[in-house]
Amino acid sequence: MNASFMGQFSSDARSLAGVLRRSVVEIRSPNGSGTGIVWGAGLIVTNAHCAPGGPLEVGANGRSWSADIVAHARDHDLALIAGTSITGPPLELRDAATLQVGELVFAYGHPLGVRDSLAMGAVHGIARHPRSGDARFIVADVRLAPGNSGGPLVDADGRLVGINSMVVNGLGVAIPALAVQRFIDRATARRAA
Amino acid sequence: MASEKNKNALAELSSRLADAVKSAATYTVAIHARRRIPSSGIIWRDGTIVSASHTVRRDGVVRVTRPDGESVDATVIGRDASTDVVVLRANDLKTPPASRAASDSGDVGSLVLAVGRPGRNVSSSFGIVSAGMDGWRSAQGARIGPVLRLDLAVYDGFSGGPLVAASGGVIGMNNSALAQGTAAALPSTVVDRVVDELLSRGHIRRPFVGVAVHPVSLSAAMVNRHHLTSDSALLVVSVAEGAPADESGILIGDVITQIDGKDVARPVDLLDAFSGVADGASISVGILRGGAPHTVSVTPRDRESAGASE
Repeated sequence: MNASFMGQFSSDARSLAGVLRRSVVEIRSPNGSGTGIVWGAGLIVTNAHCAPGGPLEVGANGRSWSADIVAHARDHDLALIAGTSITGPPLELRDAATLQVGELVFAYGHPLGVRDSLAMGAVHGIARHPRSGDARFIVADVRLAPGNSGGPLVDADGRLVGINSMVVNGLGVAIPALAVQRFIDRATARRAA
Repeated sequence: MASEKNKNALAELSSRLADAVKSAATYTVAIHARRRIPSSGIIWRDGTIVSASHTVRRDGVVRVTRPDGESVDATVIGRDASTDVVVLRANDLKTPPASRAASDSGDVGSLVLAVGRPGRNVSSSFGIVSAGMDGWRSAQGARIGPVLRLDLAVYDGFSGGPLVAASGGVIGMNNSALAQGTAAALPSTVVDRVVDELLSRGHIRRPFVGVAVHPVSLSAAMVNRHHLTSDSALLVVSVAEGAPADESGILIGDVITQIDGKDVARPVDLLDAFSGVADGASISVGILRGGAPHTVSVTPRDRESAGASE
C-alpha cells in the first residue's frame, strides 16, 4: 500500500458518501429524528422506533414532506413509509450471511442531528439463527449515535447489508437487508391485496 | 460505484482486513478460566498458548476452545505478574502457531485489528496504533518495555487475543489491564522474551540485591570534593540480612552515587541497573561512606530462587 492508495481510499470514501446521500432521508417525528432509506418509488424504510405513529416529516435535499406509515413490524423494529415524491437510486442488497469478520462497513445517517455523516468501522460478528444459520443481526465495530437509527450499513462496495438499529455495549447492531426486503415484500403484497 | 466490478480502494482494504482476521482466527483460542465470558489466547508456538494472566484465574488445567471449535485441556506452566502474561501448554492444538507481522507494523499510525474469541466465534475491532509507550513500568517499578497504546475499541473477552496488522501477522497481545483499562497491547518481542524465560525457568528473573533506598541531594561541596557528576544520590535505609547487598558489605547510611559508572537519582535507576546484569555476574557500586568514596562489587541474585517475597 503506497501513498496513492491512501489518496484513492479517501476519494473512494468520498464518492461512497455521495452515493449514499442520494438514497438517504431524514425522518422527523415527535420522538426525535432518525434516518430513512429510499426503497424504490415513493417508499422509505426506517426503524419503527423512529416512526412511532402520528405526524411524520421526511426531509431530503432541503425539502420536506409529510408522510404516512404504511406498515410496521415492531418485533423487527421496522417501518415502511409512503406518500412522498422522493426518488433515489435504490441500493444494491447483500446477504449479511456472506459478511466476514473484519470487513469494512460504513454507516450513513444523521447522528445527533449532524446531517449526512459517514462512519467507518469493521464487522465485529454476525449473530446467527441457531437452527437455520441465517443472519439475525450484524454486529459492527462502528460508532453510532441516536439519529443513525434507520440508516444504512453498507459494505465497501456500497451494497446495503443492514439497517442500523441499536447500540449494544458500544457496538452497532443492524437488521440484515434481506430481512428488511422480506418485510417490504409482505407489506406491499398486503397493500396490493 | 455499487455496480462497478473492478475493486475500489475501500473494497481492496476491506478484503485484506477480512483476510487478516481469517488468518488470525486459525491461531486464536478461547480460554475458559474465569466466570462469565471466556478470554482469548494466542497459539504462540507449537503446543504453547499465551494469554493475559489476569483473565486466567486458575492454575493447573483449564479448558481451551480450539479454532476448530473443539475443547481441549491446557496446563498453566508459568505466569509473569508485571507483563501480565500467562503461558499454557496443550498437546493437540492441531493448527500452526501465529505468524509474525513485519517489525514496523506496530509503528504509530499503523492500521490494526484486535481479534478475540470470547466464545465459539472470533470477533474483531479496527483502528490504529496511537502511541508506543517506551518506559512502561509495572506496579513494582520493573521496566516492562514498550507497550502499544491503541485507538480502537476493546470488548469483553478480547484480552489475551492477538493484535493483527492490516497486512496480516501478529504484532502483539491485546491486554486492557496494561494501561488502566484502555486499549493496549504488549509487542511480540516482549511476549517472546517472557515466553522464553517462563519456558526455561518457570518464572521471570528479577534481580535482587536487598536494599531499600531513598533519594537525597548532595551538597555542592561534596560534589566538588569527590568530582561527582550529579548531586542526586540514593541513601540506603535498609539492608536485608544475607542478601547480596549485605554480603558485599553495603551498610545502612551508605549513599549510592553510581552503579557501573552511571549516576543514579531515582530508586527505579537501581532496578534498571541491576536488571541488566547477567546471571551470576557482578556490578560495581559507587558509594559515599562517612563522606569518603568507596566502590563495592555486588552480585545480584534471582529474587525467585533467593526465596525472598515481593
